[in-house]
Amino acid sequence: MPGRSFEPFATRGRRVVVAILITFAAVSVLSVVLSTSTTSRSKHRAAVIQVAARQRTLAERYVKETLLVHAGGRADPRTTGDTMLKSADALIDGGVAPSVEGDDDEMKIARTTDPDFHAQAVQGRRLVHDLTGTGSALLADRDVTEVPLTARERISAKDPVKRLQILGALTSNVSLNAAANAAGTTDRNVNDLIRKQVILGGAGLVASLLLAWALIAATRRQTAHFRSLVSSSTDLVLVFGEEGCRYASDSVARTLGRESAELHGRGFEECVHPDDREAVRMATGRGVPHRLPFRVQNRFDEWRHLEAHVTDLRDDRHVSGVVLNARDVTERVELEEQLTKQAFEDSLTGLANRALFRDRVDQALVRSERSRAPLAMLLLDLDGFKQVNDTLGHDAGDRMLEELARRFEGVKRAGDTLARLGGDEFAMLLEGTGESQAIALAERLLESLVEPVTIPGRELPIGASIGVVLHHGGPGVSEELIRHADLAMYAAKEGGRGRYMVFHPDMARELGEAVGLERELREALKEGEFGVHYQPEINPASGQIVGVEALARWHSPSRGLVMPDDFIPIAESSGLIHEIGSEVLRRACEQTVLWIRDGVVEPDFVTWVNLSGRQLSTHGIAKRVQKVLAEAGLDPHFLGLEVTETSMVGADMLGHNVRAELEELHDQGVRIAVDDFGTGFSSMEHLRRFPVDLIKVDRSFTQTVEHDTRDAAITAHLASLAHALGLQAVAEGIETHGQLELVQELGCDLVQGYLYARPMAAGDITRMLLEREHEHQPQSSELIG
Amino acid sequence: MLAISGCGSSADSGHSNKEVEVWVKDFHIKAPKHVPAGDVTFEMYNRGPDHHELIVIRDDGRRLPLRGDDLTVDEDGLGPAVAGALEPEPPGEHLVSMRLKRGDYWLICNMAGHYMGGMRTRVVAG
Repeated sequence: MPGRSFEPFATRGRRVVVAILITFAAVSVLSVVLSTSTTSRSKHRAAVIQVAARQRTLAERYVKETLLVHAGGRADPRTTGDTMLKSADALIDGGVAPSVEGDDDEMKIARTTDPDFHAQAVQGRRLVHDLTGTGSALLADRDVTEVPLTARERISAKDPVKRLQILGALTSNVSLNAAANAAGTTDRNVNDLIRKQVILGGAGLVASLLLAWALIAATRRQTAHFRSLVSSSTDLVLVFGEEGCRYASDSVARTLGRESAELHGRGFEECVHPDDREAVRMATGRGVPHRLPFRVQNRFDEWRHLEAHVTDLRDDRHVSGVVLNARDVTERVELEEQLTKQAFEDSLTGLANRALFRDRVDQALVRSERSRAPLAMLLLDLDGFKQVNDTLGHDAGDRMLEELARRFEGVKRAGDTLARLGGDEFAMLLEGTGESQAIALAERLLESLVEPVTIPGRELPIGASIGVVLHHGGPGVSEELIRHADLAMYAAKEGGRGRYMVFHPDMARELGEAVGLERELREALKEGEFGVHYQPEINPASGQIVGVEALARWHSPSRGLVMPDDFIPIAESSGLIHEIGSEVLRRACEQTVLWIRDGVVEPDFVTWVNLSGRQLSTHGIAKRVQKVLAEAGLDPHFLGLEVTETSMVGADMLGHNVRAELEELHDQGVRIAVDDFGTGFSSMEHLRRFPVDLIKVDRSFTQTVEHDTRDAAITAHLASLAHALGLQAVAEGIETHGQLELVQELGCDLVQGYLYARPMAAGDITRMLLEREHEHQPQSSELIG
Repeated sequence: MLAISGCGSSADSGHSNKEVEVWVKDFHIKAPKHVPAGDVTFEMYNRGPDHHELIVIRDDGRRLPLRGDDLTVDEDGLGPAVAGALEPEPPGEHLVSMRLKRGDYWLICNMAGHYMGGMRTRVVAG
């Protein structure tokens, strides 16, 4: 942060306070030192003053005592004189002034430094000498004028008594003035002391005021700092006492959209979620637990999730309460809830997902084991959903799934678990349910699909296969239950779709076969185990081979040669039909190119390749065929595509413009045949709308044409229908000469069947083609082998 | 510096006053023999060590009377003869102004024993 940064009280404030304290202490010490020093000096001065003043008294006493002795009385002027002399010495040089009997004790005095006093003391000592010298001369009857005077006094009086009195007065006078001088100095010292003490006292007062100011300022700064920290913090700080909330930081008010005052007392508690209120009351009253998640309601009636750390500071006299430091964790909680929801909910339909369903099954099995109550599971797989996705796109598929989820929700009972396991697979768990109820529910689910699903601009029929598995109570394993439901569902699909199947143990074995076959098919594709056989199409009138139908063959190392009827349904249901179909188309085209190159085929020869319903309903079939033709280098006129009427119409119904794709190929020369004609819609409308060159009358009619007049009539009708539309009619499955003759009579233009040839390898076809060039006669099947 | 007026002395130590330096110390007074008459300011320089007075007394030819102690001059008894006085002063410089008529004057220190101890001198004013 630019500019002034906050320095906490512990650094700058402390420095200021310490500086002021040092000043205060220095002032106090100085004051004490001054007082002590001055008191000591005053005490010394007092002794000096006393001794100096005493010299005056002693001088006067000495004069009196001397005169008394001189008059014949008794006195001891010598002692007084000695006392005066010693005292005079002590006043100058320091030392002990002797005691005076009945008056003073001896006094210890220090050397005086004051020059005026010193001069007076020196003068005083001279005068004491002169006085005592004169006194001694008087008492000794000597001539006092002979006594040498040292103090520069000029006494004209000759009378010894007079001289003694004059010297006594001089001594007394100078002693008195010296004492006065010392007293004056003491007065000055005391005045100095008072002045200095006043100054020091003032300084101490200022220092105290500064100290108080610094402490208050520092405390204010610190308080403001922490208040600012608390106020601006996103953390919520609350303090609770016995009366309820005592303090709520600004962030609390911000979070709740309420004034702090509203939260005081019981105000905050009223915002707490009723379910959390007891826990909050416990925490704010007793300080436990230390960590507390709870919810509060803001003024917009939204619940906010808080996570609080609880600190019990009731024993801290500075707080005397329980402190809650809380954070608003609403976003985090919502995210967690969302993630949890995502983890267990199908995002498209809002139903339970596979994980949650599995968990529910586990729990249900635990309950079932305990209560011995039965349960049932339904596994529902939509029929034909892949085509919806492939042809209309995933958005349409998603809309359909949403709609179906709604319908299934309407079917399920309260307490049942409905889940989308993924893709077009739904599951339902029914607890406490026996077989009859489970079957009833499966039927209701199927009924819910009778009504086509409407997505914008289109009505789509949809079906489903349902596997039902029953658990009769007791221990169970969820994986096994789900697997059994899966097998039952698979059986329902195999059984013709649009139905339900209840699991029975045999299913596992049967379907295990189918599942194994699918796995082998995948391997076979990888290993190139698929081959193509060709069955000739004959013009019975000329005996000429006009074309061949390419048929897939699987040479399984373990199973031997596998017929299409045995693996095509599995390839269809598993989606492997795309790869197998593409492989057949590619190899047929390549083979035809070889025949053309070898000159064994006529220019109108056609190699017919079957397109399954799934292949047809996939976008871009025209492009894929064109790509194979281009890669093989085959003229499109040599290729024919056989499609069933059902698959052609089914794909068209799903909105895929099959007609346009077939027309595109047809325009380039590719022939189109309708396979198995007569078994489905047999709609003239379809024949008219689609670019068809040829119809193949299903073997179910041609094989019974000799014995069933209705089939003969149908065959005749189909042939005439073809001719009416300018198409050729091909009779499939011709195995006898009788059938051949009859279908020829009934109007079929071409024939195909074992009477002429079984499906055979390309090399055999080549040989046959070479032979037919010379011999346009039909052969019996056994001749061909 | 303190100006003290004694009897007959002028309150004004003014500019027109003639100045007379008097030096005093234990136990001498040193002054010029002749001092001006009229308004005079005595500048007393006390060289100590003791305190001293400066009392200017007209000399009418008689001995100065003593008090009962026989040690100090009886200033009260002199009446108007006292022309001016400086009270006892510590060492330092002190002033006193007075009007002197022509004639003789005693300059004395009348602290106990000082006059008798030698602190007296006679000057002639005019």
